[in-house]
Amino acid sequence: MLEVDEFESVFRSAIKEPYHYRPVELRSILLITDLDDSSSAALEQQLRQFSPVLQSPETLWQRLNGSDFRTTEELLRRVEQAAPELIISYRNLHSEAWRYPHSLGEHLDVLLNISTVPVLIIPHPGADYAAAHALQQTRSVMAITDHLTADDRLVNYAVAFCQPDARLYLSHIEDQQAFERMIEAVGKIRTLDTDVAREQLGQQLLKEPQDYINSCHTVLKQSHPQPPEVVAHVQFGHSLSEYHRLIDAHQIDLLVMNTQDDDHPAMRGMVYPLAVQLRQIPLLMV
Amino acid sequence: MDTTETLANAAQHAVSSGVTALFAFLLVAMIITLALEEKIHAKKSLIVSLYAAVALILAGTLHLLPFGPLELPNGHEIEEPVYIPAIDWGVIAIILGSSIFVDVTSRSGLFSWIAIKLTKASKGEPLLLLWYYGIMTVVFSALLNNVTAMIIVGSLTAVSLEKLRQKDKLLGFLLIEGLLTNIGGLLTLISSVPNIIVGNAAGISFVSFVIKASPYVLVATIATLVLGGILFSIRRIDSPADRALAAEQVASFDENDGIASPGFFRFGAVMLGLFILTIAFTSVLPVLKDLGMGFVALSFAGIMLIRYKSEVQQFYKAIDWDLIFFFMALFVVIYVMELALVLDWIGQGISWLIGEGRATGTGLLLAVSAAASSVTDNIPLAAMLAKILAASGTPTESSLWWAVIFGANLGGNLTPIGSASTLVAVTIMHKHNLNLSFGGFVVKAFPFAIMHIVLAIAYVLLTS
Repeated sequence: MLEVDEFESVFRSAIKEPYHYRPVELRSILLITDLDDSSSAALEQQLRQFSPVLQSPETLWQRLNGSDFRTTEELLRRVEQAAPELIISYRNLHSEAWRYPHSLGEHLDVLLNISTVPVLIIPHPGADYAAAHALQQTRSVMAITDHLTADDRLVNYAVAFCQPDARLYLSHIEDQQAFERMIEAVGKIRTLDTDVAREQLGQQLLKEPQDYINSCHTVLKQSHPQPPEVVAHVQFGHSLSEYHRLIDAHQIDLLVMNTQDDDHPAMRGMVYPLAVQLRQIPLLMV
Repeated sequence: MDTTETLANAAQHAVSSGVTALFAFLLVAMIITLALEEKIHAKKSLIVSLYAAVALILAGTLHLLPFGPLELPNGHEIEEPVYIPAIDWGVIAIILGSSIFVDVTSRSGLFSWIAIKLTKASKGEPLLLLWYYGIMTVVFSALLNNVTAMIIVGSLTAVSLEKLRQKDKLLGFLLIEGLLTNIGGLLTLISSVPNIIVGNAAGISFVSFVIKASPYVLVATIATLVLGGILFSIRRIDSPADRALAAEQVASFDENDGIASPGFFRFGAVMLGLFILTIAFTSVLPVLKDLGMGFVALSFAGIMLIRYKSEVQQFYKAIDWDLIFFFMALFVVIYVMELALVLDWIGQGISWLIGEGRATGTGLLLAVSAAASSVTDNIPLAAMLAKILAASGTPTESSLWWAVIFGANLGGNLTPIGSASTLVAVTIMHKHNLNLSFGGFVVKAFPFAIMHIVLAIAYVLLTS
């Protein structure tokens, strides 16, 4: 005989959160550096070539140079006054700690945790660890999350930064270790079949992000004038090492991640270590 | 000899009144225990099996059982336990075959595909959703069975109203659907167990059954949906923005999600159509008319199982063995009651009812059947009354059969324990934290149930 729960599962599984495309417009951009005005202006010119979304003549560019702020408090006040729709900066402002892959520096750390606007983190201009292709183009853009479902904002920002012939990698790595812990617990419950749980739970965890990525592909083809080629990466693995591998393998020009989510206003999970370690390419934290 | 006279004179064995009273007491005790099934946390198969065992021992001790070899048509004799011929294996075969067939067919994604298509067609409008789900409940109840229909439609209702943020309407939807399962369950000979038992005993064909029942089902369905919409304030959405949002929310359902194999989906659809056609014409098809609907149901189940040939055990495990053993034990109890002349006593009671005049008697029989079915399982009632009417030689075209069919099915709408499908509706309500008490259900369902019973009495009398 059929069960109520069985059919509720069938119908719940049939609900697929569709992707909604909304073009991103950046009317005001704030570049924060610890450089002097001329170096900062040169960096601005370089950045304007980085992505089509930064090239609009209607966009207002503002700069905060090294002499404009010293403390984090000053920085936050100046950012509030500028009211930008995108902040661009780099690690370890007013510090030499950019030589080590261990922190973002106090200014950026605080800014990322409280800012509600996206922050584009670029490789430090004084460092030699930037990838050869960094800040040259956005031909290969990757958006990542540990729950890539109905994350329209993340995908829309990633799409906005893509150049016309770009590849957009949408990646979801389901944490293998967490999954194994869950299956280990299932293995200790007499009434649950461990093999069935492993197979079906595994399939379901990957199905939802895959369905969403399929929807992104379909919607972008229908609504975007020059849609990027959507490539899905949905698999089990160790998030950090897998993302490192994918970024190297596909020569990613820009990595897009969520800084915050509804439950956690501050950076958490894999986002912080990735932001700290991935110094060679630009990161867009939305 | 007229029916009244036959019923009153059905006693054929010499059994003392004391013995008959003893077995009548046993029968009443069993019915009361069944009514308390939920309270005593015992499955009905176990309850009835224990009563069947006691009834057999008592009947054996009192020399009521016809022990001895069974004579075959070729004149040979075989030894067989006395309780084996007591079971109506035709009914068991129909229930077993059709439940496996429906279970396997549901794996094709066919029923969820239909359900989601209708949900999307409603564009999320609550009133349209109520009508679509209501009609779907009736059709699924008619073609599958009441419990399966309630599970499919009730599950979808819970999920879709949650998606539409209309969970405040869930109780009304589930209650109306629960009531409609018993209306849809009247449409065909295989829609509900009382139909199978009474229809088989009366010799009513599948097609005759549908022709007779469909006008009532149509009128009762429309009346229920209209009254339900009014009583539970289920209306269309006023604002265009909310309408657009609702349409977008239901559009996110993917009807193809549950289809693992398009080939099996098409096969399932074709087989369902063939199953309904074959069942409909079993009574006129050569060979099949002798093998019966149980054979047809089991054969279709077997064909569908070929798709899962290496894992058929999962479908065997999923069979409702409680229901199957309940029927087997129940047939044994009724067999013993027949030998102890308890059924004759009940027959005399029915004769008294019918003796009030043909129209009044038929109406009373329907009302009494409904009242009895509302507090205990309608299957023992249907089985007993079918046996009594058959024993009295009631003709196929008699309205008494229909009084029992309508009464046994519609009585389930008076209380939450009156039918398995309304019990499923209440289970889904509780699963979603909608606490509807026994009394609460009766109060909310009463206007509908009375309307159904009054309509049924009028219809049976008008068409007799």
